[in-house]
Amino acid sequence: MPKLKNIKDRTYDAIVIGSGMSGGWAAKELTQKGFKTLMLERGRDVKHLKDYPTTNMYPWEFPHHGEVPYNIKQSSPIANRCYAFKEDAMHFFVKDNEHPYIQTKPFDWIRGYQVGGKSLLWARQTQRWSIFDFEGPARDGYAVDWPIRYEDLAPWYSYVEKFAGISGNHDNLPELPDGEFLPAFPLNCVEDYFKKQLSSNYQNRHVISARCAHLSKPKPIHLEQGRGQCQNRVLCQRGCPFGGYFSSNSSTIPWAERTGNLTLRPFSVVESIIYDEDKGKAVGVSVIDAHTKEVTEYFAKIIFVNAAALNTNLLLLNSTSSRFPNGLGNDNGLMGKYVAFHNYSARIHAEYEGYKGLTTDGRNPAGGGYIPRFRNVFKQETGFLRGYAAGFSSFRSAEHNNNGIGENLKSNLLHAPLGPWKVGSHMMGETIPKETNFVSLDNSGKDEWGMPLLKISIDYDDNDAKMKADFFEQFTEMYSRAGFTNIKTEDSKQAPGLDIHEMGGVRMGRDPKTSLLNKWNQLHACKNVFVTDGACMTSTSTQNPSLTYMALTARAVDYAINALKTREI
Amino acid sequence: MDRRTVIKNLTILTAGVTLLPSCLQKQEKALVHLKNFSLKASQEKSIASVVDTIIPKTDSPGALALGVHLFVLKMVDECYSKKDQQNFIEGLDQLDEVMQKNYGHSFYECNIKQREDTLLALEQQKGFPTALITFYKILKYRTIQGFTTSKYVLSNELVYELVPGRYNGYFPVKVVNLPSKKNA
Repeated sequence: MPKLKNIKDRTYDAIVIGSGMSGGWAAKELTQKGFKTLMLERGRDVKHLKDYPTTNMYPWEFPHHGEVPYNIKQSSPIANRCYAFKEDAMHFFVKDNEHPYIQTKPFDWIRGYQVGGKSLLWARQTQRWSIFDFEGPARDGYAVDWPIRYEDLAPWYSYVEKFAGISGNHDNLPELPDGEFLPAFPLNCVEDYFKKQLSSNYQNRHVISARCAHLSKPKPIHLEQGRGQCQNRVLCQRGCPFGGYFSSNSSTIPWAERTGNLTLRPFSVVESIIYDEDKGKAVGVSVIDAHTKEVTEYFAKIIFVNAAALNTNLLLLNSTSSRFPNGLGNDNGLMGKYVAFHNYSARIHAEYEGYKGLTTDGRNPAGGGYIPRFRNVFKQETGFLRGYAAGFSSFRSAEHNNNGIGENLKSNLLHAPLGPWKVGSHMMGETIPKETNFVSLDNSGKDEWGMPLLKISIDYDDNDAKMKADFFEQFTEMYSRAGFTNIKTEDSKQAPGLDIHEMGGVRMGRDPKTSLLNKWNQLHACKNVFVTDGACMTSTSTQNPSLTYMALTARAVDYAINALKTREI
Repeated sequence: MDRRTVIKNLTILTAGVTLLPSCLQKQEKALVHLKNFSLKASQEKSIASVVDTIIPKTDSPGALALGVHLFVLKMVDECYSKKDQQNFIEGLDQLDEVMQKNYGHSFYECNIKQREDTLLALEQQKGFPTALITFYKILKYRTIQGFTTSKYVLSNELVYELVPGRYNGYFPVKVVNLPSKKNA
């Protein structure tokens, strides 16, 4: 990139920091409204189709048939714990040894530093929050009250769903509102069987087709993006040659580029947001070139911070000035605190002896069924706060007998009989944001770019333990009553972070004394800076969060544009 | 086996045969290039011979013809720690010692019955040095992996579809719905 000496050449209408799930949406919304927008990404560019090197590879074409080599596991021990860190997608994860952080308590921080961020790698589950989720903190007396309610976000859920393409059924459940759906991916016979069992054995316990960001039947708006129908490959983490699932790379970023208003600058590590005391607002950002380490300032009227939850905390805490000695907008000292996540450490497996004459054919990109939260939804009814959602899926696979050698073994391998149906669920538990779960800056060491290291101090608590015990108990009962056998519970004992749903630290709220952002995702104390990634979350609920980030982002951009017009910011 | 399959298998066998001479040449250093440890030619031959004994040629190609011994070595070379690699070599040498003691030959020089008897005894995981048992576990696991994920097997036997384009959750077990098989 040529050196831009002139301040005018480095001035845009808007700057978006980060190009992942929410940054992509910010860029799309801003550019299509005519805003000249600079999108900054600390990693390399990843162009849709062109930069998916493994996308069309067969298993045998990978040098290690999919397995991550030993030396790469050694240099990325944390990423290596992630289910998607395999030979086909490991190039979309950071090398842990290049990006150190400090774990006061064990925390697996999974990061994807490239254009598109983790939107290339996500599990594509897209369930709306409900009125019960936004009312949660106020009803149960934890964190602070959300400054918005479901009704505030509902039209924006619709707005982003139509563009992203979400497959699902209209299930008519108040605890999991319906959206703008393409046809759902159907449940298989055993998933349907369990759905019926749950409905007859329990009140308010449901199995639905998991709602997911896949184009089951694309509409003109999706074709216009250059995306096509999902082909059931379920190799999404490689990047999809059909654009069958939603990512920033396949959808929002190319859309933003087509307006002619987007400048995408990869290899741009944002050091800080520049605050101007005379103007009483932010005027731009200071960027370290990832290669040359040269620092350049860029300027804009509004700044969207979408660096991914914990990096957004790091960046804001590092944006100090005499007005904000503890980080931009951090007058109350709460920035970095009240971080929460999802408890994904519990699973339960079993077998079912029925439906021996049926199996599955092809692959289901939705992953199967979804069981919305059924604990403490309408009122508090257990000894722990909040609850959990769960996945539910079933499948049959060949039962390999690997014993012996020679012709017998070979025949067993090539003609293995189908085993019984296996079923499995994983818990997605809401955790309670607490002041004692926090991130902060450690200035004793710096990374390669001179940035302070992030110190992470996050742990489970008693509420999480009680909730997990309840999950095991309830699902054991639900499985038993459905006639499932060989039930096995599994406590993965994984550290927080591996859920990849870390949220908070820059939470929204009504009161500047107890929150950092207002109901429009604006910093209370610096109104032209918007935070719309996971950092803004006041509580976590149980749903996979990306869809909510998208909706919050589109809503905040709409507000920001109007506020600029009326000179409120 | 229909005609088409026979021809397909013949083609693969021919390809396999071109790999074989490397196992027959009398020379000290192994032909396969490894990054993290080295093998003598005799060791390479024994590994190939174990792989061949575990999954032999039948009316379809065996592991050796599919180059699985090379895959096994690549995996041991790049997917294990130094310590595991040392144990692997130690176990391999112990195997040849056992064969020398029992039959007066290295593993690859023994006849099929001697090789099979030894591996079947090893399957019991008793009465052998620990390194040898570990060596055999790794070698067998990687042989099965290399074979079942080989191009031949995933194209002809357990057909892998890159682009299924469908999902049916109520699929009758007996119906075969693999596109590449329909024309066979």
